[in-house]
Amino acid sequence: MPATLLGPYTRTILVVAVLAATLAFALSGVRGEVYGNLLPMFEWMETTWFGFIGKTWGAAFATIQAFHLLGLALLGGSVLVAEGRLLGVFLTDTPQGTITARCNRMFNIALATLIATGVFMACGVALKIYYLPVYWYKMLALCGGALFHYLVRQPLVERAPGEVNPWLLKLVAVASIMIWFTVAATGRWIGFSG
Amino acid sequence: MLNEFIYNIAVWLDDTRWSTMLHESYYMYNWVESTHVLTLMLSLGMLFLIDLRMLGLALPDVPASRIAQRLNLPMLVGFSVMVITGILLFYAVPVRSAQSVWMRIKLVLMVGLLINAILFHKKMNAAGANWDNEPKAPRNLRIGAMLSLGGWAIVVTCGRFIAYDWFDCIYTDSEFIAFVAGCLDDQTRF
Repeated sequence: MPATLLGPYTRTILVVAVLAATLAFALSGVRGEVYGNLLPMFEWMETTWFGFIGKTWGAAFATIQAFHLLGLALLGGSVLVAEGRLLGVFLTDTPQGTITARCNRMFNIALATLIATGVFMACGVALKIYYLPVYWYKMLALCGGALFHYLVRQPLVERAPGEVNPWLLKLVAVASIMIWFTVAATGRWIGFSG
Repeated sequence: MLNEFIYNIAVWLDDTRWSTMLHESYYMYNWVESTHVLTLMLSLGMLFLIDLRMLGLALPDVPASRIAQRLNLPMLVGFSVMVITGILLFYAVPVRSAQSVWMRIKLVLMVGLLINAILFHKKMNAAGANWDNEPKAPRNLRIGAMLSLGGWAIVVTCGRFIAYDWFDCIYTDSEFIAFVAGCLDDQTRF
């Protein structure tokens, strides 16, 4: 039913709606209200087992941090190879669809690793990161990146070759690299803040 | 003898103006450290894809030698940046870094991994092209890929551990740790 109403532009309309909702959220008073209401959740996070382990055993926290970095490396590799192929830099003699589909699998595994280890790390320092603006920038970049990847990039690269303007694909590739670099850089900056 | 030599070199580096400037510059030090960490996405990212391809876990329908050859250059560029930024990070905090147990394990492992990479490439070239389109590489190459993946995972973990002061010479009471870290009885700089 919704697909019939929206015609052939379902995803485009969905993306614009998400962006509009994000802007409305960011610019209205709702943001401050939600931010205040999230404090109990962050306080609770520190009382969980993850929070307890993260605060008590520095070695466990550091090991999870290392796995977070390994996930970041895999995510970087899969993004750079896939987007490099779209930009015509890497593996140009291999079909674009093969590279992007295979790299997407690696990307999913890497993102799942990053989220799982990230949640653990966040529980250990929940109240610290709650008050760090850069943590929220990272969450914004991460959510934006995931939405961009699954709602914009994937539908475009999954289309048949020639169906999408190659320059649009190149633009998407550049945007993707920039978004994931921002996610990584803001994550790194959390370590220097607070 | 060797530890004393390393300590004296580290103290000499520590006394240089640039070392102090780099250490005390909040933004410069953080830029260098961030570059070191973020370049993991390029260097280890490419390396992981090459190794996982050999194990049949990534890009199994793309010829293995093609993956190894094409991703080799960006991987080496990434590693070069990591080496340069790594040297700068060492230079910024030379005495503590030279006497870090984790730094020592990391460096020894990296030498081992360099030898593994050279052997891996030799074996890959010697293996010919008849396995190139197979999902998995021959057994000896798979072993090399597993060693590489495991080794680099430990290197990253050691790199992360360097930031913690658990085994710093100034705090440790363990003779074994002091031996591995190269702590000196009469050292005045930490």
